[in-house]
Amino acid sequence: MHLRRRSLLYAGLLGVAFPAGAEQKLDFGRDIRPILSNVCYKCHGFDDKIRMADLRLDTLAGATGKLESGATAVVPGEPAESELLRRITSADADERMPPPESGKSLTAQEIELLQQWIEQGAEFKPHWSFVTPERPALPEPRQHSFAAQNPIDHFVLARLEKEGLAQSPKTGKATLIRRVTLDLTGLPPTPQETGEFLSDNTPEAFEKVVDRLLRSPRYGEHMARYWLDAARYGDTHGLHLDNERSMWPYRDWVVRAFNENLPFDRFTVEQLAGDLLPSPTLDQLVASGFNRCNVTTSEGGSIDEEVRVRYAVDRTETMSTVFLGLTLGCAACHTHKFDPVTQKEFYQLYAFFNSAADAPMDGNALSPPPVKKLATPEQESQLKTFDEQIAALHQDVAGMLAAIEYTDPLDTAAPAGAEPRDYVWIDDAAPPGAQLQGDSEWKFVTKDDGEVFSGEKATTRRAAGLSQHFFTGASPGLEVGEGDRLFAYVYLDPADPPKEIMLQWNDGSWEHRCYWGEDVIAWGGPNTASRLSMGSLPKVGEWARLEVEAAKVGLNAGSVINGWAFTQYGGVTFWDKAGIVTRTPQDGQGFDSLAAWEAFERTQSQSTAPGDVKEAITIEPDKRTDDQKKRIRDYFLQQVCTTTKPKFDPLRRQIDEFEKKKSELDAAIPISLVMANMPEERETFVLVRGAYDKPGEKVTAAVPGVLPPLPEGAPADRLGLAKWLVDPQHPLMARVTVNRFWQQYFGAGIVKTAEDFGAQGSWPTHPELLDWLALDFVESGWDVKRLQKLIVMSGTYQQASKVSKELAARDPENQLLARGARFRLDAEALRDSALFVSGLLVERPGGKGVKPYQPQGIWESVGFQGSNTLNYEADGGEANYRRTLYIFWKRTAPPPGLMTFDAPTREACVVRRSRTNTPLQALALMNDVQYVEAARKLAERVMLGAAPGSAGDAGRSPADRLTHAFRLAVARPPAPGELAILEEIFQSHLAKYQGDKSAAEKLAGIGESKRNESLDPVELAAYTLVCNLILNLDEVVTKE
Amino acid sequence: MNPLRQHVLQETRRFFFGRMSAGIGTAALASLLNPRLLAGGGALPSQQEQIASLGEMLRLHHAPKAKRVIWLFMADGPSQLDLWDYKPTLAEFFDKDLPESIRMGQRITTMTSGQSRLPVAPSVFAFKQHGQHGAWVSELMPSLAGVVDDLCIVKTMNTEAINHDPAITYIQTGSQIPGRPSMGAWLSYGIGSPNQDLPAYVVLHSRIAAGSQTQALFARLWGAGFLPSKHQGVALRSVGDPVLYLSNPDGVDQADRRQMLDGLARLNQKRLEEQGDPEIAARIAQYEMAFRMQMSVPELTDISRESESSLEMYGPEVKDKGTFAYNCLLARRLAERGVRFTQVFLRGWDHHGSLPQSIPQLCKAMDQPAAALIKDLKQRGMLDDTLVVWGGEFGRTVYSQGTLNKETYGRDHHPRCFTMWLAGGGIKPGIVHGETDDFSYNVTDKPVHIHDLNATILDCLGIHHERLTYAFQGRDFRLTDVHGNVVREILA
Repeated sequence: MHLRRRSLLYAGLLGVAFPAGAEQKLDFGRDIRPILSNVCYKCHGFDDKIRMADLRLDTLAGATGKLESGATAVVPGEPAESELLRRITSADADERMPPPESGKSLTAQEIELLQQWIEQGAEFKPHWSFVTPERPALPEPRQHSFAAQNPIDHFVLARLEKEGLAQSPKTGKATLIRRVTLDLTGLPPTPQETGEFLSDNTPEAFEKVVDRLLRSPRYGEHMARYWLDAARYGDTHGLHLDNERSMWPYRDWVVRAFNENLPFDRFTVEQLAGDLLPSPTLDQLVASGFNRCNVTTSEGGSIDEEVRVRYAVDRTETMSTVFLGLTLGCAACHTHKFDPVTQKEFYQLYAFFNSAADAPMDGNALSPPPVKKLATPEQESQLKTFDEQIAALHQDVAGMLAAIEYTDPLDTAAPAGAEPRDYVWIDDAAPPGAQLQGDSEWKFVTKDDGEVFSGEKATTRRAAGLSQHFFTGASPGLEVGEGDRLFAYVYLDPADPPKEIMLQWNDGSWEHRCYWGEDVIAWGGPNTASRLSMGSLPKVGEWARLEVEAAKVGLNAGSVINGWAFTQYGGVTFWDKAGIVTRTPQDGQGFDSLAAWEAFERTQSQSTAPGDVKEAITIEPDKRTDDQKKRIRDYFLQQVCTTTKPKFDPLRRQIDEFEKKKSELDAAIPISLVMANMPEERETFVLVRGAYDKPGEKVTAAVPGVLPPLPEGAPADRLGLAKWLVDPQHPLMARVTVNRFWQQYFGAGIVKTAEDFGAQGSWPTHPELLDWLALDFVESGWDVKRLQKLIVMSGTYQQASKVSKELAARDPENQLLARGARFRLDAEALRDSALFVSGLLVERPGGKGVKPYQPQGIWESVGFQGSNTLNYEADGGEANYRRTLYIFWKRTAPPPGLMTFDAPTREACVVRRSRTNTPLQALALMNDVQYVEAARKLAERVMLGAAPGSAGDAGRSPADRLTHAFRLAVARPPAPGELAILEEIFQSHLAKYQGDKSAAEKLAGIGESKRNESLDPVELAAYTLVCNLILNLDEVVTKE
Repeated sequence: MNPLRQHVLQETRRFFFGRMSAGIGTAALASLLNPRLLAGGGALPSQQEQIASLGEMLRLHHAPKAKRVIWLFMADGPSQLDLWDYKPTLAEFFDKDLPESIRMGQRITTMTSGQSRLPVAPSVFAFKQHGQHGAWVSELMPSLAGVVDDLCIVKTMNTEAINHDPAITYIQTGSQIPGRPSMGAWLSYGIGSPNQDLPAYVVLHSRIAAGSQTQALFARLWGAGFLPSKHQGVALRSVGDPVLYLSNPDGVDQADRRQMLDGLARLNQKRLEEQGDPEIAARIAQYEMAFRMQMSVPELTDISRESESSLEMYGPEVKDKGTFAYNCLLARRLAERGVRFTQVFLRGWDHHGSLPQSIPQLCKAMDQPAAALIKDLKQRGMLDDTLVVWGGEFGRTVYSQGTLNKETYGRDHHPRCFTMWLAGGGIKPGIVHGETDDFSYNVTDKPVHIHDLNATILDCLGIHHERLTYAFQGRDFRLTDVHGNVVREILA
């Protein structure tokens, strides 16, 4: 397919330039190389590993050298003696080139071109884009119409003259201001802005508009979103769990950089190597996050080295696509077949990125290091204040500790507290704080009227079925330590024993149960900690001790029990004395003996003591260092010892409070992933066929031989690489950059394949113009705003976009620029414009990605159970109306409204979006709540009359209102015929809603924004549907 | 036909042909406004048209055996050892180390590479021979066992990727690294679809079933990569609108929409006359198609007129939107309507632990509907030209991950061999292709790489996998990268 298209393209252009039969001088790069590259270089190109018959057709020497067969492929000036020509025209299928299995073929026209080229001397030239551009002379076109406004026009007009074409007239002023406002800010003009421009008849009127737009903060937001495609910016990691990642400060930096007009060389250096600049600023570090935007994983089972290699390959490819306009991905596995970049050279470029310090596994973390926290000066100073306050308090603590003379009240080596003992929690009464409950009241008995085991009283219960008494809320609670056992005493009436008895504990939940007897109480899960069988009932007619290991019922060390339940199924029970077998001090009591506490701590594998203290305790006392002794003592006196702890408590509380405030502040400080290198450079090897585990020859960082060398004295690291790119002598960098900007305005670059300036890429439609722009851009100090202004101030840009029959036939893709560009708005501009004309747009710059309306199930149907971006929860409110640039971008399930309009997924670098026209787009614009709500608000806006900032007063008649809505959307009033259609549709909608008020109410209530209650819902619904129509007009979704 | 629409279509055609004759037809126009369809005025495509190419390829490379594909995608890697690849001698190796002669130092995932041993876990499930050709099928799949004579079971699938994300990206797009078009997108681009009221490539996600151990999916798996984005798969959703933004807003009915669209078409037509840009004509046509989709999609998803016997065949969950059973039925309805490529995703086969406890429930959700789809297509005479594929991104290891005892075990990812099956259009029924060693660890005979599978699927559709290409970034890309051989032995 592409082959056919390519040859037609050349045929088309050539056919215009050089009438058939005329002997014109062919250009190797433009006319011949594409044919050779597409058809021959796969086997007869740059890659010597797969070269056939030892013939290479990419150099003069290779093509004209004697072959093994004795023949010569190309004999300059002598087509008849050139083997190449004989083979491509041979009737013998065995001889004919290209061979059928290549799937390639040559057209008659291509064969003729090759013949002509040999006749003309078979000139070889290096590929144009690898040669440093020289400033071309400005052509002097004969026609001096409006369009010759700046140097751009000289080149364009000269070409048009050659083609025998004229330029289109200047477009109407309303169209022009809408075009330039959309192009520079991504939003349409207001009626007031349009009105001012229309009534300004000074020669500078347009320039004033342009200057105003370039000063607008909307400019940076608009420019940034193109760049973010190239940088593959997203708010999630992009692989496997696809958890959230904190990268948005980088996005905001890009917006700022454009608004502040950061020169593009610095823009480049800071992103590729901001971290390597001497004493980098915060902004420069954030900018280096460009290299961290690649997708990352933390999938269990991944092999680190394999993943790490992928990251470095991605960074290399992104750098080369964005700054070199070369797609070097192929060279990761084998020497490039079409462009003169060897596999070794690929890995030399890769070496620049191979020492990155980020770990292969991102840990599914929000901010996998290296990262930079971005505190404001106020936050910095607040943090410092907290630190000082905390330090001062620690000083106070240290002073108090030094002043205490502690002697251990125990003098035995084996303190009593070290052995577990019964701690009775419930005996003649429930513990303090307990709220007694049950399906009937607690019933206490004494020895006179029942069975008692301990103390004065026991509780009893007679039940027909399931019955219990219990309490919750006891304070202090029962502290569970390691290996502790819970116990209770029970007496079962021999005359009427229960079927089952159960103990239950509450530590916040009741899911801790064990039972004796039959399994008739169905709470919890069988054979789990929530319903553990302890065997048969104890012997009836005598007191029995029930005991269970706390951990077995899910009460691990550190649990605090606040409730206890005595449960039975049928029968009569007496319950008495219950508690815990433990070493842990209970009832809020602690230790006053250091030795006793140490003995206790040694029995506990977990405790609240910090690790270093815990570790020191395990060491024999006489083997401890002084420091360890001090740590133990200080901790004990401060946090444990019952006699000294209370003195420290107020200070500790203050410290905790400050720590808490500090960590809250800390959490609120934005964080961004940044680039950094390992302290030691990682060795780089050529990877055989790109396989991470097949290292070949060792290489060091270097740039491809076909391009200029690194600047003298530049380090062989990313900083050196970046400086090499922005060296004025670099043949690619500036061309690639101006081409990408050009593409924003004209829909296609001067080199259509913005990502590929190599041999397989498109030939520039205006090579001299491209070179002129590139050199001018560099000489201007890489002034980005100046370049944008230059483009939009050109007559070429300001032409009408009407497609005449002649132009449609001659130049359907508008490559010659005989008319203005006309194409559908990108996803972001579509949504932003709808919000803008409806008055809904909330222009709050920057910050964390927001989650507006999204249809149900987009994330959920693909998400990983355990990912923190599994469930989409819309933020609501303002988030629905922020600029699209700020929408949270989940890379495995990107915003569906944007995907529908050709936005990339941001998993990989994209410098050129496709632009399609599909029924799914129609559905989105008709029915997405975002757009329907915008229609409803637009309807409200025009029903309420002139909005602040709009020109003129919208009247009250449907015609006035519809005119107003139409003007808001396209910056021009409707023609009478158009208005008649709008009115007719409005009247039929109105009739429908007058007959169906409930439908009107529904439509008038769409979206989260408040409906203006002063407006009649029937009328509002009818206007809403017409505004829906307006927002779907081709002219509205198109830049004309 | 309404006169206005007739006019619009004529205009559209005029521009369409005008562009084509200039040799620069945009992709968008080329397949969406296929002249054969416009000539037919939207009538149902004839048999002939279903076979003919409707996409960028001007004609098919050879006569097709299948007109459409349904791929039941078993995401997360089902265990071939417990479903299809019967290894009776494994019982003797219970809890013994996997012999080094079998493993041969091959890389394994870091989830088990740290284990001190790799003990063999024989399947706890019983296998029996079924059908004429006596293929071994696990007791977990009684229904599929019943249609085994229609299946071509390929036991020797293999891939290089050992983790989910790269592996599933690989089988779906031919590359482990995100960015390439998926198979469905290639088909949409290459041969389009005879039904212009539905997308050429439809994706159905099944609700997570009991017994699942589940990984994520990614939009890129049905994405268009560098192909024009209109070729991306359209997910038919089980919640909300089946197609995104299909329903009119509350308070707007189809008659209102028609009125609005009439107004829109008239205004756009005026603009077209004014501006002359053929893209406007295309947009007018897209809105008309959107309107038709608003009717055709609800008709598609309305299963109320399915016969009771049909519904019964797919099992009790068939009426429950979003279940695998419902999706299998929908796949058949999509096939009837000419949709080129339907993928039904069933996630949950990532049984790293407690496999014997989990997999039976998941098989229960999968088995009956999958078998029903085969039977249903066959009954309707559609199995002859519909290719059904069953399988996932890789298989699972013979050695246990984590606890191994007589009751339980887990299995890690295994790329070196796994089982898939194909049935219908162009495929030899009732055969088992290839053999693995006694441990289902290595292929011993007739390996089928995932590129080979993809090449074979394209071949069934009349496409030579090396010739469906797209020039991007300076080279010709294709689904099978620089690999892939058609597996002739399994072709009918």
